[in-house]
Order: sequence, then structure tokens, then C-alpha cells
Amino acid sequence: MTPDEAIAAMIDALGAGGIPFMLVGSQVTNFYGVARMTQDADFVLQVESGRVLQIVDHLGPPFRLERQMSFELITATTRWCVSLTGTPFSFDLFLLSDDPHDRERFRHRRQVQILGRQVAIPTVEDTIITKLRWSQQGRRPKDIEDVRNVIAVQGGRIDWEYVAAWCQQHGTEGLLEGLRRRAAE
Amino acid sequence: MEPTPELIEEIDRERIRAARAMSGEEKVLLGLQLFQCTCRIIADGIRDEFPDADVRRVQEILRERLAIARRLEDTP
Repeated sequence: MTPDEAIAAMIDALGAGGIPFMLVGSQVTNFYGVARMTQDADFVLQVESGRVLQIVDHLGPPFRLERQMSFELITATTRWCVSLTGTPFSFDLFLLSDDPHDRERFRHRRQVQILGRQVAIPTVEDTIITKLRWSQQGRRPKDIEDVRNVIAVQGGRIDWEYVAAWCQQHGTEGLLEGLRRRAAE
Repeated sequence: MEPTPELIEEIDRERIRAARAMSGEEKVLLGLQLFQCTCRIIADGIRDEFPDADVRRVQEILRERLAIARRLEDTP
């Protein structure tokens, strides 16, 4: 099974399960920006943990749920990892948290066509806000690169007022300003 | 979203195990498949942004975006 077939199968399984969900992370920054090859795909699900187990069980091989779930500290939620057996490709499934911005980006999610399927993704603004927050709190330089790439392509179409307001709440406004300055150079 | 360090280690180990179990040819193939997947998703984004673009125009913009990616990679 190729990575795009695996992503499509996951989208189909979540849709068939009637689970409200959205694709997030670097696959979405690819959608809005420029290429960065990544060996995983991330989803946010509005569902209880037990249903995650059922969905992955229903998918069957080559999908394999990692034994241990983990806690994501930035928005205080649960994360499940699903690997694609025989490859380094994997999925991270995050439960929708009570974090105000996590809730807001889920509410604002938009339906688009990806890999021949209707799938919800966050807006470009919410993608930037989340990536900046992760880059700071998770200390992940690749998130900064993702934001830089999205700004390079979408810069003129972004609602900067909305982005700045959330970044101020998250303490990432300095990062945002720096990236915007670099993009303008 | 930060998993526990133990889980990160476990997943990294799993990925390394999976990569070690693959032949060089399989790894090259996976790289091509990842690139193909990335290009499909970028093209979907371009079609979303430019709904009137025909196949040729989508390919042109895709090439431009790959060129931007290379340029950004070279930027310190």
C-alpha cells in the first residue's frame, strides 16, 4: 500500500465511521504551500478513545495501532499512533481537545478535495497559528519551515489580523513577525 | 502536541526497524511514492485555489511551487 492509498483508506474509514474529523499537519501545509515530503499524516477526531480502536481494528492490516496512547501537552489531549506495517509511514490521531484554538480551528474547518475524496482541513490561518504554537512549545524547527513555505505561497490571501490575535494569545507573535519580515525581503 | 519521550523513542525505533528491513530498492521506491503523494496533495491545493485552471496550468503551478521549495531549502 502506497502512502497516498493509506491516507485515502484512513479518510474513508473515518468517514464511514461517521466521525467528525479533519486532516491536519504537514500534509495540509503541502496543500497550502510547497513540497515537504513527510512520512506521516495527522488527523484530529471528535470522538471518544474507544471508537479510535474500533476504526483502526476495522482498517485491519497493514494498519497497526501502537500499544500505547500518549498525552499531548500543548492542548492537553490524547494521541494515538497508527503505523503502516513494513514501511516507516505512520498516522497520528489526536482527539479534539478543549483548547480554545483547537476548538475554533475545528469549527472553522473547510471541506476540500484531497486524493479524490472530500475531506475537512483547517483554514490556512489556523494552520499557521497551530504550527507556530508547536514550533515554540514543541521546539520543532520543521514547523517553522512549514509556516515559511505557506506564507511564501499564500501570503497575500491570509487574514493577518486573525492570525496575529491568536499568536498574541499563544505568545508566538514574535515568531510570526519574524517570518513575515523574512517573506517580505 | 507532544507525546511522551518514551513513545517517541519507541516510534523512532519502530521506524528505524522498518527502514532497516527494507532493501535499498524498496527505500528508493518509498521515496518516489512519498514524492508522488506530496505532488498529488499540492496539485489538489492548486485546484482548490485556482478552480478554473486546466491540467496544464495546474502542472505549471506545481512546477513553480517545487522550484519555490528548492529555493527556500537553500535559504539559510
